[in-house]
Amino acid sequence: MIALEFPPINEILRWKDLFPGFNKIALIAVAAALIGTIIFLLAGSKDHKTAPKGVRNFAESIVEFIENGIVMQTMGRDGLGWTPFLMSLFLFIYLCNVPGIIPFLQMPATARMALPMFLSLLVWVVFIGTGFKHQGLGYLKSSLFPPGVPKALYILVTPIEFISTFLVRPFSLTVRLFANMLAGHILLVTFALLSEALFQAKGNPGLIPVGVLPLFMLIFLTGFEVLVAFLQAYIFTILTAVYIGGAAHPEH
Amino acid sequence: MLTAVVIQSGDSLRVKLVSGEGEEGHSEDGHSFDPAECAFEPEEANPNECGPGPSPIIPEMKELVWGAGAFIVFALLMRFFLFPRLKKGMDARYNSIREGHENADAARSSARSEVAQYEAAVASAKAEAAKVVDAARATLESERQTKIAEANARINAKREAALRDAEAAKAAVRGQIESAVSDVVTSAVEAATGKRPDSAAVSRAVSDAMSAGVR
Repeated sequence: MIALEFPPINEILRWKDLFPGFNKIALIAVAAALIGTIIFLLAGSKDHKTAPKGVRNFAESIVEFIENGIVMQTMGRDGLGWTPFLMSLFLFIYLCNVPGIIPFLQMPATARMALPMFLSLLVWVVFIGTGFKHQGLGYLKSSLFPPGVPKALYILVTPIEFISTFLVRPFSLTVRLFANMLAGHILLVTFALLSEALFQAKGNPGLIPVGVLPLFMLIFLTGFEVLVAFLQAYIFTILTAVYIGGAAHPEH
Repeated sequence: MLTAVVIQSGDSLRVKLVSGEGEEGHSEDGHSFDPAECAFEPEEANPNECGPGPSPIIPEMKELVWGAGAFIVFALLMRFFLFPRLKKGMDARYNSIREGHENADAARSSARSEVAQYEAAVASAKAEAAKVVDAARATLESERQTKIAEANARINAKREAALRDAEAAKAAVRGQIESAVSDVVTSAVEAATGKRPDSAAVSRAVSDAMSAGVR
């Protein structure tokens, strides 16, 4: 007989305050902003005339990745002005995701609803604001009445476009990031607990070697979470770029 | 806290959820309950058990405030300070690299044009040299032809002189031979006939005979 204690969901997600009004999630968010700032501060202070290396090389790689891999692909040259915002978004989300596999932290800040929801609402405000700035009230027309559709179909298309553009986008952004990171975190907790329980199975020593299997799975999932952390940051950022690009240039 | 107890009997597994043994909550075993140990407040419907806590999906205000504040500060720093400084350095370096490339391209095209000029000069010099060589060859040929003609003329003159000398010598020898033959014939005729033949007739006969023999 083995006793497998799986803690309540709140116990693996909610963290006691480090000091009043400041818990581990807040710590990770602040640390992410600080680390990102320090990286770019250090990178900016290095000699820019020589070939970049170290932290400057890292920072310039991020800039080029955002510019060439996201902005140019979705918005074109006109969208290069959005690089700082998109880079902040990507770096912040990535640095909030990665603590899920860092020992002692072991919690992605984005596995809680607050951060994904705030970032999604911010993106929602930004792309709608961009749409109105570039097209005025024509933004509503181009969003709700896409050209080339037979007029009779607007009865169906307009409500669908309204729901998908103005309601579902922030919701899907939030849930995609939050659910992926939460699922990864729960998987890691599950396999860690299962390994521990099997290694400590006192009643049946034959189960102890079996504990290696969930341990291997835990190691594999930890590596997988590195990929997920990057991928979710990338997806959130590229979707943001697509939404802003679509709002600024409806013909795209 | 709930504990999942897995009981293995033969091939079957049985799972039973019970309260943790070490907790002070209200368990199936009748342990006493200490609300101070609870992570979350007891529910109103069942004040003797620890509450499950709020829904994990609901955002916490402190996380929202700290997260939003951290991101906004980071984004503003990135927009107005961090990114422009880095980008300025990147642009300066890219511009210097681009200038280097342009200078290298200019130097390369300049070198290519100099090579083309040099090759054109070499071709021109070669053509000039060929012209000079051709002219020299033509002059040489004409001088050679002149010299050959002069030599041929000299040879012809010498040959004609030699022929003339030979003809003269031949004529002289013939005269001598005719005279000797005429003397012999005259003596022979005189010895045979006792009369001396007419020397003119003998000479004419000898001359005719020799002429016929020469032919």
